[in-house]
Amino acid sequence: MTDVLAKFRLVGTGGVLAYRALFNWARLPVFIGTLLAEPVTQLVFFVYLGRQLGVANDTFFIVGNAVLAASKAGVYGGTMAVGNERRFGTLGNVLLSPRSRSAVFLGRALPYAANGLFVAVFTLTVGSLLFGLDLPVQSLPGIAAALVIASLTCAFFGLTLGALGLRLLDVWLVSNIAYVLLLILTGVNVPSETLPGWVQAIGDFVPVTHAAEAARLAAAGADFETLAGPLALEAAVCVGFAVLSALLLHVFEKAGRTSGSLETI
Amino acid sequence: MVIAMTDLAIKAEGLRRTYRSRNGWLKPSWRHTEAVRGISLEIERGELFGLLGPNGAGKTTTIKMLTTLLLPTSGSARVAGFDVVQDTREVRKRVGYVFGGDRGLYDRLSGLDNLRYFAELYAVPAREQRTRIAELLELVGLTGREREKVEGYSRGMRQRLHLARGLLHRPEVLFLDEPSIGVDPVGARELRRTVADLASSGTTVLLTTHYMAEAEELCGRIAVIADGAIQQIGTAEELKHRTDGRRVLTAEVFGASEADLDRIRLLPSVHGVTVEDRGLSQIVTVQSAVGTDIEPQVREALTGIRVGRIDKREPSLEDAYIAIVTGVDRDADERTGGTAGVPG
Repeated sequence: MTDVLAKFRLVGTGGVLAYRALFNWARLPVFIGTLLAEPVTQLVFFVYLGRQLGVANDTFFIVGNAVLAASKAGVYGGTMAVGNERRFGTLGNVLLSPRSRSAVFLGRALPYAANGLFVAVFTLTVGSLLFGLDLPVQSLPGIAAALVIASLTCAFFGLTLGALGLRLLDVWLVSNIAYVLLLILTGVNVPSETLPGWVQAIGDFVPVTHAAEAARLAAAGADFETLAGPLALEAAVCVGFAVLSALLLHVFEKAGRTSGSLETI
Repeated sequence: MVIAMTDLAIKAEGLRRTYRSRNGWLKPSWRHTEAVRGISLEIERGELFGLLGPNGAGKTTTIKMLTTLLLPTSGSARVAGFDVVQDTREVRKRVGYVFGGDRGLYDRLSGLDNLRYFAELYAVPAREQRTRIAELLELVGLTGREREKVEGYSRGMRQRLHLARGLLHRPEVLFLDEPSIGVDPVGARELRRTVADLASSGTTVLLTTHYMAEAEELCGRIAVIADGAIQQIGTAEELKHRTDGRRVLTAEVFGASEADLDRIRLLPSVHGVTVEDRGLSQIVTVQSAVGTDIEPQVREALTGIRVGRIDKREPSLEDAYIAIVTGVDRDADERTGGTAGVPG
């Protein structure tokens, strides 16, 4: 019992302290600019572009971009959760911990998921107010479920990228590319059916794709049975990245001890 | 001296570490560097042991292997009775690692939050954390400053926080890797006092340092490591025997070249010459056989160069250390036909 409580503390208290220590955008002005203003601006841009091109209606872009807004805190936060350990020279001290690596690092993903969820809700609210989108009350639980799962998936996806930071010195390059790829692969701003088959296939395995579909279905008034499919798929992607990140962290730590490549001290 | 295994905090046998680095991508060539070549050590529980050596001698690599951060290429080591390769978790529960310098702390957090986080990482039970942290803040003299962000801490404060971090889980074996580097003399003295207290309370301490006085004051035994191997091991007094039958002359000179120093090295009774740059001047230290007044010959070798103050004295631990290390350098030069030294 004590062990379980200690693990909860490591995940909870430890995760929050690590978030404050390692998240570059935790300061209010940077948080507002990077995590609140930028996603809203992106949403506005794509709504007007969509109107101009006649690709889809406003709801398509507002809901899609709101779900995608969860990705920035997750993708970059997860990368910072590991990458910034090198920057502060604290990686060695962390790796000297006898505690479970899964608890140490997976616990770090949770604050980024919460952060992503907040950003997504904010973006959806502002987008809806700006463009007069009136979401039916009964659609909100479905949309909320989609946002929660998408936020978790993005955080674990970010942690997977962060794990590469144990191997690569310049992991930020990977995060930048991954973040832009999500714009294309998830079908958030381009209807999936218009994308080439292979792009759609890759899109099935990245965060946001299925959550965006579920949120759009919910906004259109679909019942929970209809949403269950895409929500389950998004949850599967989430679990996949959680497992992959734990695996990569384990493998790269071991490889680093063997090769001496970890910047530990 | 034969020590029973149960009395040993650290036992290393034939510890080796080779780094492999690649040059180029299309036609990669691999370079192998032996940072540590067969180190064997036995350190008793409660002992304060010093590891001295020049930069790149293999000190940090040795510590990284003993703390499980790096796997040895060959050889074995046990710390607190556990194998550093097989029983990593058990070793980690029992060791603390403190290193010098500005890095290794979370700048955006306060000193208190740094300790709270590492207390979680190092499995300090929740009910003990508050008192343990308060106790350590008191020990390292940071009480009252613990709520300030670390980014505003001075070098000395950071170093004290490092020490507190390393002690959070009451380690049986504490590794201190150049802990006083860059710390002002008063801070360094306080640090030495804390380290001595730790050792007297039963914690085993392995200390690496460049400061001979620090090693002499604190350490019961000292190992001099150079070129990846232990060259000599013993008490400070025993190490000083290396310079038995020698005298030391130090000369302040201005603008001596390597050729000038070589002329001194070639003098018949000279055992070793080192030079330390001090801005405009250099301090040349010459070890020579006792009973020979080397000063006139040194002055002659330095003809044409401005020579300031000249002193003669008995050899110190630092001279013994230099004698050991320069001896190794000479051997390594002869082996490789160039400059010795390995990263580590």
